[in-house]
Amino acid sequence: MLKSLIFTSLCLIQLQAVAQVRVISGKVSSKEDNQPLPGVNIIIPGTTRGSTTDFDGNYRVEVSDADKSLAFSFIGYKTQIIEISGITTLNMVLETDSELLEEIVVIGYGTVRKSDLTGAVASVKGSDLIKIPSASAIQALQGKISGVQITSASGAPGAGAIVRIRGVGTFNNSSPIYVLDGVILDNIDFLNSGDIQSMEVLKDASATAIYGSRGANGVIIVTTKKGVIGQEYPTISINADYSIQQLPKKIDLLNGKEFATIANEIAAGSFNNVDAVANTDWQDQIFRTAPIQNYQISAAGASSKIQYYFGVGYFKQEGIIAKSNYERLTIKLNNTYNLSKSIRLGNNLAFSPTQQQNTAGGAVFGVYRAQPVIAPYKPDGTYSPVPGVGNVLADIDYTNSFGKGLRTVGNFFVEVDFLKNFTFKSSLGVDMESSRNRSYTPVFFVSTLQQNVINDLNKSYNDRLSLLWENTVSYNREFGKNRLAAVAGYTTQETSSEQFEAAGQNIIRDGQDFWYLNPSNINPNTIKNEVDAGQNYSMMSYLFRANYSYNEKYLFTATFRRDGSSKFSQNNRYADFPSLALGWNVINEDFVKGISFLSDLKVRASWGIIGNEKIAYDRQYSRVNNGVNAVFGSGEAIYPGSTYGVSGNPNLKWESTHQTDVGLEASFFGNKLTTEFDFYQRSTQDILIDLAVPGYLGNGDGAAVTFNSAVVLNRGLEYNIGWNGEAGELKYRIGTVGTTIHNEATKVSGFGGTGDWVQNSSGTTRTSVGLPLGSFYGYKVIGVFQNQSDLDAYPHRSDAEIGFLKFEDTNNDGVLNSDDRVNIGSPIPTFIYGLSSEFSFKSLDLSIDFQGQQGNKIYNAKETIRPDLYNFEQHVFDRWKGEGTSNVEPKATSGGYNFLPSTRFIQDGSYFRLRSLTVGYNLPKSIADKIKMKTARFYLRGTNLFTSSKFTGYTPEVASGNPLDTGSDFGGYPIPRVYSAGFNVTF
Amino acid sequence: MKKTLSLTTYRLTFGFFVLTGIMLPTACSDFLDKPLQGELTQESFPTTAADALLATNAVYNITRSSSFHFGLFPIMDIMSDDGYKGSNPSDAASDVGPYDTFKHIPTEGNVKRWWNTLYEGVKRANVVIEKVPTITMDVTLSKRYIAEASYLRALFYFDLVRAWGGVPKVTSAITQPGLVRASSDEIYQLIEQDLLLAISGLSEKSEMSANDLGRATKGAAKALLAKVYLFKKDYTNAEKYALEVINSGQYNLEPIFNNANSESGEHGIESVYEIGALRFEGIENGGNSYGQVQGVRGTPNRGWGFNRPSLNLMAAFEPNDPRKEATILFLGEVIDGVTIAGDGTTLDETKDANGNVIEIECYNQKVWTPGSTVPAQFGHNRRIIRYADVLLMAAEAMNENGKSAQALPYLNQLRARARSGNAGILSDITDINKASLRDKILNERRVELALEGHRFWDLLRTGKAQQVLGPLGFITGKHEVLPLPQNEIDLSQGALKQNPNWN
Repeated sequence: MLKSLIFTSLCLIQLQAVAQVRVISGKVSSKEDNQPLPGVNIIIPGTTRGSTTDFDGNYRVEVSDADKSLAFSFIGYKTQIIEISGITTLNMVLETDSELLEEIVVIGYGTVRKSDLTGAVASVKGSDLIKIPSASAIQALQGKISGVQITSASGAPGAGAIVRIRGVGTFNNSSPIYVLDGVILDNIDFLNSGDIQSMEVLKDASATAIYGSRGANGVIIVTTKKGVIGQEYPTISINADYSIQQLPKKIDLLNGKEFATIANEIAAGSFNNVDAVANTDWQDQIFRTAPIQNYQISAAGASSKIQYYFGVGYFKQEGIIAKSNYERLTIKLNNTYNLSKSIRLGNNLAFSPTQQQNTAGGAVFGVYRAQPVIAPYKPDGTYSPVPGVGNVLADIDYTNSFGKGLRTVGNFFVEVDFLKNFTFKSSLGVDMESSRNRSYTPVFFVSTLQQNVINDLNKSYNDRLSLLWENTVSYNREFGKNRLAAVAGYTTQETSSEQFEAAGQNIIRDGQDFWYLNPSNINPNTIKNEVDAGQNYSMMSYLFRANYSYNEKYLFTATFRRDGSSKFSQNNRYADFPSLALGWNVINEDFVKGISFLSDLKVRASWGIIGNEKIAYDRQYSRVNNGVNAVFGSGEAIYPGSTYGVSGNPNLKWESTHQTDVGLEASFFGNKLTTEFDFYQRSTQDILIDLAVPGYLGNGDGAAVTFNSAVVLNRGLEYNIGWNGEAGELKYRIGTVGTTIHNEATKVSGFGGTGDWVQNSSGTTRTSVGLPLGSFYGYKVIGVFQNQSDLDAYPHRSDAEIGFLKFEDTNNDGVLNSDDRVNIGSPIPTFIYGLSSEFSFKSLDLSIDFQGQQGNKIYNAKETIRPDLYNFEQHVFDRWKGEGTSNVEPKATSGGYNFLPSTRFIQDGSYFRLRSLTVGYNLPKSIADKIKMKTARFYLRGTNLFTSSKFTGYTPEVASGNPLDTGSDFGGYPIPRVYSAGFNVTF
Repeated sequence: MKKTLSLTTYRLTFGFFVLTGIMLPTACSDFLDKPLQGELTQESFPTTAADALLATNAVYNITRSSSFHFGLFPIMDIMSDDGYKGSNPSDAASDVGPYDTFKHIPTEGNVKRWWNTLYEGVKRANVVIEKVPTITMDVTLSKRYIAEASYLRALFYFDLVRAWGGVPKVTSAITQPGLVRASSDEIYQLIEQDLLLAISGLSEKSEMSANDLGRATKGAAKALLAKVYLFKKDYTNAEKYALEVINSGQYNLEPIFNNANSESGEHGIESVYEIGALRFEGIENGGNSYGQVQGVRGTPNRGWGFNRPSLNLMAAFEPNDPRKEATILFLGEVIDGVTIAGDGTTLDETKDANGNVIEIECYNQKVWTPGSTVPAQFGHNRRIIRYADVLLMAAEAMNENGKSAQALPYLNQLRARARSGNAGILSDITDINKASLRDKILNERRVELALEGHRFWDLLRTGKAQQVLGPLGFITGKHEVLPLPQNEIDLSQGALKQNPNWN
């Protein structure tokens, strides 16, 4: 035995000694673009010997006669095995592997093949995000993803958007979270759209549960661009875009003569000669056309050791109202260092300084209210006083409000592959934000009600630092027909922020150079600290997910996250968020093989619980109120006092959303027609609401304590349908997305189960069981009291008169009082949709996008607040002037009764809009090559070109961050219409 | 090459685990405990002698809260025969207006605000009474603070029990919901107990430093206790404590009636207990809106003009009683060089359907802040107990105790002061018939203390309410008390029962 062993060994040695060694060399390139491929692995099958290609795609490998073949493998390409008997030179052309290149979808803490996905996840490519000329990349999602509602609440330069995914899930903060290259954020307004590779919107519990207590309102994963291995030569890309913004429409208000006529009816003799009054169109006075400039340059590339992306962008937007602008510089740097085959280090950094100027806050509302009979200027050129609202032009002139911000977001990570199928990743994420604001009001005089006797300076500073440390181990293995991907992790996050604000008066000079609260520069006795506050909170989490697929047919995902948060007291500090999902790739079953038109068919279902921790975390504490002082002494002086304030609720717990989703994906005709349908139901429980508590608890009048006491249901159907077609040289893609939303509060419980509604602060909305969140609340108008007998015949408020609105006695008790107010409309649309199309023909391309919504109402709040005589909308001119003249518009009054919240001010919020239209011209490749460019494209674009809407205000996009107070139009900054021209070149 | 890599691997792995080793334990122990920044929580207050003083001062603070004063609007005077709603006819017509005719309802805001604010005061007093004894500090000071808080708690409960009858009895700083109404006797017992404790722990006014005027005194506690006994018809004790105040030598009448409520009499000889206030708007700045709510509306613009003196009140003054002019600001009157022109959109005379004048535009002069350029009257020190009130309490109690003759001097002191040397008016009262003297004392209370918030309760406790207020809408068996705030009934889920006939 021993003998034979020795013999065999000797033989082996001998064999090795006699084996001929030769070198094979050559070049590997890509079939697609004929470019050399660096970093290609060349292995002799059955051995560990091999080599890789260099930067120019060249390789050298030593082989022996025993070696029969070489295997060339490279990520994204088909592995090729070539016989090598007798060969010394071998040039390889690698073909991309369409199967391997199957769409990879980014999900939380990992990626997944689209066919293995069990959750409702929608993706948007970076190229779609740069279509909308806005500081915020989120604006570009409008009408692009089913289930996602994007509303621009303001057209002010740099303004963000309000995002709602699958309805409105809570009375509190209903905004999704953003995960930028692994860093969890509240917004991505600092990010340049051009730096984004893709955005993934995670909608159902299967996808969001890995984010546990932060997933309930949806998750938007943002992946920025990286250098791709293989791009040995850097790709330089330059984008430049110049736009002009203008007011899309004016509000139809009364002109001078009409206003004077109405004013005379309200108070006889106000204007002696209505033909002689001035006629100022105040809207013309403040709105202007204004430019947006957006430039970006980036470089991306990779060697076998380093992948890099470097982008610099500059964005500047002037507002369509004077003294409003926004300017932003963005620097993006993403690097990955491949230390070895198994260790990667990297960083993804975004650095963004901004500055902005804010115009007078009430300018738009002021213009709406200003009487048209007043000329803006007096003959001597000074501002003329405007009754009630003041002169808006003067407001703008004397407002000096500036802000500067700096946001730095990034992470540093290390990834280590170990054992066979494991990868460990540790990532330290940083989110730093600081802002400084200054506002200065000089001494001025327009009228006794619009003047500033002493100049004021106000300064505020905010800073915030959030550190996120995430450690995950992932395991990926394929064995037989099984594919398993699992990830487990431990993460901690700590956030601290501080705000400081101070003010002073009597600055020695007006100029910006003197805007410092410096005692030698300003009256030192006026300097006072207004705010100095800080917040600290932290979170600690454990997470786990397993994706398993069998035979490409049956899919299973389980997720679990346990979050602990400092926002809750010891009693309820931790919460668990599980989810389960199943999928079935029916297309891979034999029984559908024969159906030729069917190219994909998949069904999936998921269930899970996710949470919302964006709450007023300090509500658990019972505070001590300082500054409750007393006055004592014959000389009367203030003596400080402190005592117990409102008692907190230490039993607060997490809001939790139970979500179920059933999805169907089907494609036909070789994937020409793609469809995806999802039914979702989200029920958010234990919603935190502030409730009145018994007065004898001593919290004081109007005090409220926060309780977990409401439930909200959202339910709907989403679809996403697309068609890709070709006709000769014309290629086109047409798509539509849409979502129905059924939103309803299913429980609104007061303290101890009493009461069944909550309202907003002004009482114009009331949410009760069975109604959508923030439903408008007021009287139902059923006509106008035509005469005394009409008035006598129907119940009316004591302040009703002939010619006034007739409110319905909704409870039929024969008395008209505040109990007759009812639900008069919902601010939440029942259907939101988008239509998109792209066409390319030879060098030309065209894309047209529409979006819209249906079924929501807008409360025209700006029309109702009338402590003084203001201008009116045109419809007021059709007023009641005597019996039979109108049963819709009441008699002219300056305010009061007829302006109580009622259906008179409820308008249809549905709209349909041509969101974007782009025409592009691509320089033919032959010309581009000559000037050493890879691509060059020029385009013209129009944004918000056309809106079909019955709403009388500037824009039917009316929203606020507070779900109980949304959909009321107070005359915000109008969303402009934009015309752009630009080019992209890469070389 | 290979060696370097493995070294890198080693270093990284090592570095990572060292880091983890340092950070994880830190994370686990107190990573999730994040206290509030820059704010105290109730677990850590009050714990020092300085805290004890702060907590005590904070109880006084509630007495400057706008809704401490009958819920903002002076509804007790408006319900009485002394005052009408006032202000502009349309202003607060639907909420305050109904009190004129006893049409007010349980959902009305004054009821809720007053209730909530009084209990807020009770809570603040309870903080002192419950927590200060646990603080290691000077015993005399500690005792004084607790006595001050007890006095104020009695003041709050006295308003509560008079306005609503039996109410939930809260005696600790943190209360759990689910309370029911205690009987009014239980509340009165608590008031009595608090005031006796206050009497033993407080100093006389003359012993206080000038800087402490406005804090509770022994005299204030005794005077309040005398009043409590009057309401309980315990005339023996009422007489006892009223006389103790009178005989303490701490107080006297201001020589001039006007000074009793005006700025010049603040913390003066007649002041037994008053609420100090500065002339600035906002409770945080030392202001009190009590005077502003009732201040002249229009020209000069001193406030909202609520609590309009009634013609009935004017008629209650004996002929030429100078107190009438000193109590009521009439249109056209010139005061401190300012002509009272009143509110432009308010009718100078309000007439009934038959053309009879039923109201004239006029204002409460007792809250007038002296000066010609005062903006709104936030600086008025509301007098809770004046020495004149104590004299009247003594006279009333003695008359009830069968000492009518001995009661007369106290009554006549007031008349002499009002007379101010004019022998032709307000002659001394000599009537010693118990019943008719009782009426005379009640009327003297009315004219002396007009518009100071006493009249409605005086009518109630003397059994005259139905007779006097019946024509205005008062219903016996209902209007002796206010309705509990509807909100409070709702929130109690049936644990709190509404007052009779208010549902």
